[in-house]
Amino acid sequence: MFELQNVEKRYPGVHVLKGVDFRIGDGEIVGLVGENGAGKSTLMKIIYGAVRHDAGNVLVDGVPVSFSNPRDAMKMGVGMVYQEQSLIPNLTVMENIFLGFEKPFVRFGAIKWKKMAEAAGKQLRKVKLDIDPAMITSKLTFSQRQLVELAKVLTLEERVEGKLVILLDEPTSVLSKEEIDLLFGLVRELRGRASFIFVSHRLDEIVTLSDRIYVLKDGAVVDVMNSAEADIETIQKKMVGRDVNHEYYREDKQRPYDDGHVLLELDHVTIAGRGNDVSLNLHAGEVLALVGVEGSGREPVLRTIFGMKKPEKGTISIRGIPVRSFSASESVSHGVGYVPRERKIEGIASGMNVFENMTLSQMRNYSKSGVLRIPAERELARDWIRRLSIRVASENSDCGNLSGGNQQKVVLAKWRSSGSEIILLDHPTRGLDIGAKEDVYEMIRDMSADGVGIILVADTLEEAIGLSHTIAVIKDGEIRKWFNCQPGSKPSPYDLIRYMV
Amino acid sequence: MSFIKNYIEHQTLNRRNLLLLSAWGLCGAAASSSLIGRQAAAATSPDPKICWSYRDRTNPFWNSIVAGGEAFVRSLGRQSGDLINLINGGSSEKSLSDIQSLLSRYGSGVALAVDPNDMPNCRPVVEAVSHAGAYVSTIWNKTDDLHPWDFGDNYVSHMTWSDVGPSEQTARVLFDAMGGKGGVVHLGGIASNNPAIERQQGFKNALKAYPNIQLLAIQAADWDTQKANQVMSGFLTRYGDAIKGVHCASDTMAYGVIEALRAEGIENMPVVSYDGNPQAIEMIAKGKLLATVFTNAYWAGGITASLAYYAATGAFKPSAEPREHREFYGPTAVITTKDAQEFKTKYIDTNPEYNWKDFWSLAKGPIRYKS
Amino acid sequence: MTQRLTMENLRKWVPLFVLIGLVLFFTAVNPNFLSLRNFARIAISSSPALMVATGVTFVILMGSIDLSMEGTIAVCAVLFALMLNALGGSLSGAGWLAIPGALLIGAVLGAVNGLIHVKLKIPSFMASLSLGFVGIGLSLLITGGDRILIEDPIFRSLLTVRVGGFPLMAWAALACLLIAWFIQDDTTVGRNFYAVGGGEDLARASGLNTGRLRVTGFIVAGIFYALGAIFAVARLGIAETETGQNFMFVSITSVVVGGTSLSGGSGGVWNTLVGVLIVNVIGNGMVVVGLPDYFQDGVLGLLVIAAVYLSTDRRSLFFVK
Repeated sequence: MFELQNVEKRYPGVHVLKGVDFRIGDGEIVGLVGENGAGKSTLMKIIYGAVRHDAGNVLVDGVPVSFSNPRDAMKMGVGMVYQEQSLIPNLTVMENIFLGFEKPFVRFGAIKWKKMAEAAGKQLRKVKLDIDPAMITSKLTFSQRQLVELAKVLTLEERVEGKLVILLDEPTSVLSKEEIDLLFGLVRELRGRASFIFVSHRLDEIVTLSDRIYVLKDGAVVDVMNSAEADIETIQKKMVGRDVNHEYYREDKQRPYDDGHVLLELDHVTIAGRGNDVSLNLHAGEVLALVGVEGSGREPVLRTIFGMKKPEKGTISIRGIPVRSFSASESVSHGVGYVPRERKIEGIASGMNVFENMTLSQMRNYSKSGVLRIPAERELARDWIRRLSIRVASENSDCGNLSGGNQQKVVLAKWRSSGSEIILLDHPTRGLDIGAKEDVYEMIRDMSADGVGIILVADTLEEAIGLSHTIAVIKDGEIRKWFNCQPGSKPSPYDLIRYMV
Repeated sequence: MSFIKNYIEHQTLNRRNLLLLSAWGLCGAAASSSLIGRQAAAATSPDPKICWSYRDRTNPFWNSIVAGGEAFVRSLGRQSGDLINLINGGSSEKSLSDIQSLLSRYGSGVALAVDPNDMPNCRPVVEAVSHAGAYVSTIWNKTDDLHPWDFGDNYVSHMTWSDVGPSEQTARVLFDAMGGKGGVVHLGGIASNNPAIERQQGFKNALKAYPNIQLLAIQAADWDTQKANQVMSGFLTRYGDAIKGVHCASDTMAYGVIEALRAEGIENMPVVSYDGNPQAIEMIAKGKLLATVFTNAYWAGGITASLAYYAATGAFKPSAEPREHREFYGPTAVITTKDAQEFKTKYIDTNPEYNWKDFWSLAKGPIRYKS
Repeated sequence: MTQRLTMENLRKWVPLFVLIGLVLFFTAVNPNFLSLRNFARIAISSSPALMVATGVTFVILMGSIDLSMEGTIAVCAVLFALMLNALGGSLSGAGWLAIPGALLIGAVLGAVNGLIHVKLKIPSFMASLSLGFVGIGLSLLITGGDRILIEDPIFRSLLTVRVGGFPLMAWAALACLLIAWFIQDDTTVGRNFYAVGGGEDLARASGLNTGRLRVTGFIVAGIFYALGAIFAVARLGIAETETGQNFMFVSITSVVVGGTSLSGGSGGVWNTLVGVLIVNVIGNGMVVVGLPDYFQDGVLGLLVIAAVYLSTDRRSLFFVK
């Protein structure tokens, strides 16, 4: 039996897990659901030893344990089947399966390949995969790789005495219907030896496969239900938590957009490498939300609009003028701003202070023949610190030391102050606490009141619904369904999910 | 930009020769493998190829060596370009493999002048040449247990320079200029280099004869002008006015020393050096430097090639010569203010006409081994 | 939080403490060390190195590395001397043109370096190292291994004329450092160097043309190498291929010891000044206190490791490649 008691985890500025209790019995299959940012991935990382918890206990068969890395967890029988493929593509299947555990096959310092191949073959038979263990992993299909991941974790069966706990993170997202059935069959067969924690966005699968379901919201377990009694709608309500709060998303401030003023037009655009066809119009003052599951192709659309990717076909027009050359600097000069998902990588330069970050995209406005007008930059920064009530000591503070919310405000101020009229927001509230989220919502309303067109990839469905004028549901890179989102007649998350999966 | 054109022509020639040689080497390796065990008889050849194998031409010393080699080739009525240049670039492996390629191409009809790059490489080079029945003369690098007379006629001669004596002489010139008293510093080359050790030894020998000269410090400056400059300014801080003279193990370091002194406004400090570079000689003529040692690389380059060539043609029989004609020291001359101008006209502005058949005219006696 | 901030602040000042510590140590062993005349000597040996290290600072701030300085210096020094001598041999005549000429050559070599790195997408380490060899070859080709002497008393006054106890060269180097400081803090390119070094993805996402910026960085570096070459020639009165020798080690060491992070984005030219002084104080001090020279190399090596260790926040690194 594996148990978490009152587990806590904080990152700078965010309280990720708040006293989580979690228990899984031998041979049990437990579903874990929650919105993005609810703390699922952190919880899983603590279970398989990639992250240490700050407080609380992790117990295996009632004995407290402490994992300092995934290998420790494996020794106790806890293994992870990764969603983002963790196999090393240039190694063979068998090398991947026994990566880090080659010792039994080593004689006099050399690896006995034949012996390893036999052992790997045995593991592959467990997942009913009939491939040569000496194949190079990159030659496998995605679903085959997913099964190899599972086979890799199942080597724990031989290595560890006692029961196993296996985490499955979105294992079905790349699988076909038949492959999913095969996987579920395997999981059920294996429960004699192992228990499973199953994470998926597909609630129907969760209900079908699991015995019990944990619902996680804002870092806390809000409900544990038996799947026999659960239905998708109840789960959904628990995930979203409160009834959609009109105040929260500043819906009272939502004004109709200017129908006659098209800022951005995508006309049958094929995103590089996806073979799709996207058309959309963004109007002044409109918030257009792109909704879809992870990997559905929302981000590539943003990156294409921002000029970081060149479309294969079709035209992108900004204010009616087709864009000819694609680069980020070109887009910035056309008044496009981009707030990326990975704030630490593409949003904020840590090591640079507040005013330096704010003027980074608009140095032309704050310099004269290459010489910076630093007093003007400071003035700008002080102004925006005031307007957005950014909590910093001064405009000289290093942005790397700010909290996530304040960093995000700096990033937004950067684009707003440079007069961008088209702003692309990718998960703008990811990792922010509620107060900071509300500030961001406020700013989005202010921007659209000023006539800025915003394309939003939201953190949660309710956020997308609450903020937007228009919603485009994307699946496999194509827009499947448009929703009009006027206050009072907004669609429900359930309406959207039907088209997402 | 004609120098570029010349250089490129020169280099393409070398390159082409080498490529051809390598190609021949590949075929030759197969052919010669069938001849293993058969010591080629020392055969003379009326018109052997002449070849110099050395590091590269960037350093003034080697530049003069090759110029001498070319002068010798011209004395035979051939073109300078007929001298085959094997440039090892400081690699013993390349030195040996180039020579092997050459031998498989031309067999015994080769006269080689070689600096084997390091001492252990001398034996395989000499063995390869003598195996092919060709002739070789070496300079600088040779182990003490390897002697030309152990190879009959094929290993014609070895020339090297002893730096102890000349270095002692320059030190004496320096001490005399200091009036036999006062503090002196020595700047040495890379501590493990043989010339650096010998030149320091010569300096120390001279010190014994001058009891009133006080040795302040010895420091390595790695033959490097900038390093010597920095070391000298350090010395000035440490000893100040106590320094009355500077003994340098090379001209290049002396330049740095003189500039360090100049920065302090010191113009008349006696400094001596070693190597006899044209620039140093000019400085002696102007009185900025007191003395240096000239090693006559030009003559050495010509005479080494000449020895190998005339042995190959049979003009003389090396094994009939006394041992001091097979292993000898190269010429050294201390240049001081007195003779600098005359020396410059004679050796720097032009090269003197040498009789390349007068093999031992400038030799400085047989090589003496330490143990 | 405050705990961490004080640690951060301390880390910033470590190089200066090291410099002061070294000066105190050498003075304690030999009081002659602490004298204006000796500081002038240190200034002379530091001036060329300071220019070269300042140049490479910009490249390192961008998170790239430039190892071409030895070749660039050799070419600039040799061509500077040839131009000066060809134009009458004195700065008082047309010879002064040799100075902008040399800076231009430095800029061109830097541009080639940067273009190879950016356009052919060759890692800067490899591109610049190879180009350095090309430079050395080129200068050998031009000189044939000979030395070129510069006798012009006006040019040599950089070394021989003193103001306030320090030679003109030191003042000129200081002026160039101030220019570098201006470029670093008050110009768009300077700011952008930090942005690219702090996060290239961010810089690109902010609409900066990072490729052009990198090339600019290498050009600026090339110009400073040319300045270094001119000072090196002024110091010895000799231009030759070997003029560039040793600058790679000295300049990179200085930058790192001064506290500029090799991963880019933090540090700057004042750090480099401290680093150059540390390296040259060690070079001078070791001779002044009479320690053998193999000691110097050892001490420098240890300092580099210590500096890199102190200048990076190791907790943020998972592993190091």
